[in-house]
Amino acid sequence: MASPPTKQGKRTTAAQVDPKLLEILVCPLTKQTLTYDAERQELISPAARLAYPIREGIPIMLPEEARKLTEDSS
Amino acid sequence: MMSDSLPGQTFDRDLLRKRVACALANPEYPDFLHKRAAQDLTGRLELILRDFDTALVIADKPDDFAMRMRATGRLGHILLAHTLVARTAGNQPQIVCEEERLPVAEHSLDCIVSMLNLQQVNDLPGALVQISRALRPDGLFLAALLGGGTLSELRHAWLTAESQRTSGATPRVAPFADLRDMGALLQRAGFALPVVDADRITVTYRDALALMRELKQMGWSNPLNQRSRSPITRQTVATVCAAYEATFANQDGRIPATFEIIYLTGWAPHESQQKPLRPGSAKTRLADALSTREHSLKNS
Repeated sequence: MASPPTKQGKRTTAAQVDPKLLEILVCPLTKQTLTYDAERQELISPAARLAYPIREGIPIMLPEEARKLTEDSS
Repeated sequence: MMSDSLPGQTFDRDLLRKRVACALANPEYPDFLHKRAAQDLTGRLELILRDFDTALVIADKPDDFAMRMRATGRLGHILLAHTLVARTAGNQPQIVCEEERLPVAEHSLDCIVSMLNLQQVNDLPGALVQISRALRPDGLFLAALLGGGTLSELRHAWLTAESQRTSGATPRVAPFADLRDMGALLQRAGFALPVVDADRITVTYRDALALMRELKQMGWSNPLNQRSRSPITRQTVATVCAAYEATFANQDGRIPATFEIIYLTGWAPHESQQKPLRPGSAKTRLADALSTREHSLKNS
């Protein structure tokens, strides 16, 4: 049956970050590559010492919204 | 009024983000400008006989814009970006980002579309440079932003009213980019074949207060860092309405408000694009093409 995806189907995939997106995203401040922390749902910029949150599968690439990394918790 | 903003920070982006978040939550958000720009941008993309594999569409409204862009059949993989607030619309991949700090790798995109956001960035040349760097060679940039003619009547009415009621004027309407400067800005940012044009829309309102209420509903109340922090009195509003009506009112008593949408098209440079030849590299005489005789200026 070729039925369009249901609303529930959308919701379960929403938590996944699109692989193409992960490929092209960089830190908005340093333009350097990010590491994806799937467990904490964060994109980490080691150079800027910031962790950008991913909320409901949407990376929030705003430095104001990012968590600051301390010396030992990177 | 002193503000603690950095020099060059015209817009209070934090305030803007909060206001637009509130405004977009309202189901009756007045999105007539966005709908018009969406239709125009979609039409422009349809006219370009080329496919773009990976596209970044930066738009906060209307909700179906990414779908309309997809319906053109020109874009392969669409990434949707909101500039101010996180919102879920459909199941396409999304991010929240700002044009001034574009979080995409160099040469990673084939097309970038920006819809009615660039008028609110603090560093427009910087944003354009980042967009041009993010494009692959021969990548396309399409944008709609509000331009210089926007709300010129309201600016005038506030100036008149404030100079009548107080000793001076404070900035009430944001500065908008001038159409004539945009071509040079695109070139400076590294775009080839830049095209700039504008669409003027006149909307009529009962009075200036109705216009300002609608602007507030759009989340576009005064977002300037240098704005006056003192509350606006009822008398001041009345003076603004009177000044607006005295100078601009139509015959039927309604007041017009101008919105100017500037459209930008630019390409990331590529060797296949047409360029002017170097001076002196001509292979045919102009005189032959015109079937006439060539005279030297000294002998004539």
